[in-house]
Amino acid sequence: MRATRNRGTRGGPGPLFLAPYLPFLLVFGVLPMIYAVGLAFTDGAGGWAGFRNFTRTTGDYRFLPAFRHILLYTSVWLGLLVVLVVGLALLLHGRANRVSATFRFLFYIPGALAGASSVLVWLFMLDPSVSPGSFLLRHVLGSELFVQSIAPGKLPFIFAMIAFWTGAGGWIVVMYGALNTIPQDLEEAARIDGAGPVTIALRLKLPLLRKWIAYMAILSFATGTQLFVEPQLVNQASLGLVPDTWSSNQLAYQMAFRYGDFNAAAAISVDLLAIGLVAAVVIVTRTGLFRADD
Amino acid sequence: MIQRRLWPVLVVVALAVAGCSTSSRGGSGPAGSPTSRTVGGDITIWVDSVRLPAAQAYAKAHPNVHANIVTFDGDGNGATTLQTKIQLWNRTGKGWPDVIFSEQVNDPVWMAQKPFDFAAPVKDLIPAELLSQWPAPSTAQCTINGTQYCVQDNLAQVVLWVNKKLMDQFGYTVPTTWQQWAALGDKVAREHPGYIVGNIGDSFSHWIYLWGNQCPLQQLRGSTLLINPADAHCTRAASMLDPLVQNGTVPPLSVFTPDFAKKYGGAEDKILLMPGPAWYAQALFDQTLHIPAKQITAAAPLQWESETPVTTGQVGGGPWIISRHSTNLATAADFVIWATTVYNPTGSESRPGYPAYAPLATTWLKAQATNPYFAADPTPALQGAASQIWSGWNLVTFPDQPVWSNTVVTQLVAGKSLSSLLGPLGNALAQAAQAAGYAVTQQ
Repeated sequence: MRATRNRGTRGGPGPLFLAPYLPFLLVFGVLPMIYAVGLAFTDGAGGWAGFRNFTRTTGDYRFLPAFRHILLYTSVWLGLLVVLVVGLALLLHGRANRVSATFRFLFYIPGALAGASSVLVWLFMLDPSVSPGSFLLRHVLGSELFVQSIAPGKLPFIFAMIAFWTGAGGWIVVMYGALNTIPQDLEEAARIDGAGPVTIALRLKLPLLRKWIAYMAILSFATGTQLFVEPQLVNQASLGLVPDTWSSNQLAYQMAFRYGDFNAAAAISVDLLAIGLVAAVVIVTRTGLFRADD
Repeated sequence: MIQRRLWPVLVVVALAVAGCSTSSRGGSGPAGSPTSRTVGGDITIWVDSVRLPAAQAYAKAHPNVHANIVTFDGDGNGATTLQTKIQLWNRTGKGWPDVIFSEQVNDPVWMAQKPFDFAAPVKDLIPAELLSQWPAPSTAQCTINGTQYCVQDNLAQVVLWVNKKLMDQFGYTVPTTWQQWAALGDKVAREHPGYIVGNIGDSFSHWIYLWGNQCPLQQLRGSTLLINPADAHCTRAASMLDPLVQNGTVPPLSVFTPDFAKKYGGAEDKILLMPGPAWYAQALFDQTLHIPAKQITAAAPLQWESETPVTTGQVGGGPWIISRHSTNLATAADFVIWATTVYNPTGSESRPGYPAYAPLATTWLKAQATNPYFAADPTPALQGAASQIWSGWNLVTFPDQPVWSNTVVTQLVAGKSLSSLLGPLGNALAQAAQAAGYAVTQQ
């Protein structure tokens, strides 16, 4: 405990690195959040509305489907992320340096393509008539046409796949970095005790990665429930075949900018905030993310 | 990683709005003096890609006008781009363009009402002798609560497009009724599989098959909206279409997808017949599907058995809307008048749609009659259909295209029948209508 306190009070470069970020966090993160909470509990004229905005939006016919979609999407995506990112990072960590560096680079590339543009690339990937992976689309997804690739039942999985490949590379690099912090002598000690690579990965490295996995899960859960770019672009590219209120964040967007109902939009945003917070609290308490003596 | 967090953006916008909405609303615009009477100065024009040449030609022909032309999706396929933009401009109290062209014929309905209040009445901006030259049904579509708020760019009546070359080659006669058309579809499926007599996968296909066949899915009765998918006009059209969707002669694909172009377009085109709007000739057959010249022509809209009068649907007929916030109304109006009553280039640059302004339609039709692209003169069919658009389908504030697309088209692709989807379509339309503030009735 003493070590931690010392680290906290020491001047050092920490606050210096933090300083440029803080004003942005306040202006674009904290203040809007407070403002959204304010909007969610007031009406158009600024009067107190209690939970009326919440009951009104919950009763909207698009509310439940939208939350169902993101729930399914987030589960699939988070599952993929945790299993595959950790799995790939562990595999890479066991390889020779050059092989591992090449693969880290390969995994990272799709994520380096900026947000919306990578979704646009995926639109082509999903169209069997132009996709380089058309045989996969035909045999795995069973789609001969673009409209079949984006059939309603497949969408959560399609979006999860897009999000995985655009985001996983960064996390693989992070996990790899985390694995490098594991002291060499621990690994050696395990090896002397007769542990093979699999045992070392599962019994030694994985438990030490726990906090990093929790960290990834919290951040990804929040971004997952706030899905917006993918369904919005697919909505436009499919000429409306995918509803423009597919995800709850899209519904909030429509509420605000189509119906001019900022209070309802704020209520949906606060719903998402609450879901994200609850998930974070659960993950933090279950994994001891902030326990310093671990 | 992708930034999916929307709410901070949303709230920052709202914050910014709160800061400036009081100060700048109704402030002076780019033209300097409010409502100047002379033509000239700055105007901002929002158009879709199809109307871009018209706006550019106006700017070229009027050197004293500095036109800031912005292209956008045109609100096509039921997008809500303009609603979100106008909400933002209204909140910030600035930024409105002077003129907008929308591909959605119903956009003026909400633009003329609260909370948008965007459209300016055209009465004092466009001379009455010009306004009287638009056909009455067109003027009616632009009239909201007794005031005219827009002028249509083109009429978008549905006709039967015919590939004369293929029809002659196969020895078929051009159908005049929906029943003959369906029978031919059945025959084509057996004799020439792979060829098609229509399609039903567009966001507007219901306007072709259901609007034209008088299916009451969007009929205003006072302030109540009648949505009755159980009406015989709907069910009989659906049962006629189902076997054709099944046998592949009316595929549930959009004509504007690469898949469609690959399967049915090009020099080896497989489109035998296609009910579709007037603007299909240039925008679809020529420029999108690249069907060679001397194949296509138009026939009169199909009739239901021997029922009269013959009615047809409408796909588009986009309006020009002038902003009530414009500080250069004279120039804005001058541009709209020019784009709708003067602009009429010939040859390959000719207007893709049937001009709504009647005198221009006459000269346009004359040019189309001798247009070398057509296998035969399509103008009698186009002209006849112009007055046959069924008036029982009313324009409303919400877009019905996405509802059709995601309730029906996705399910047709999955193999369901149109007959089984009419009920869900009616329910989804009713939900969209109620969310937009309409009272809905089924009877």
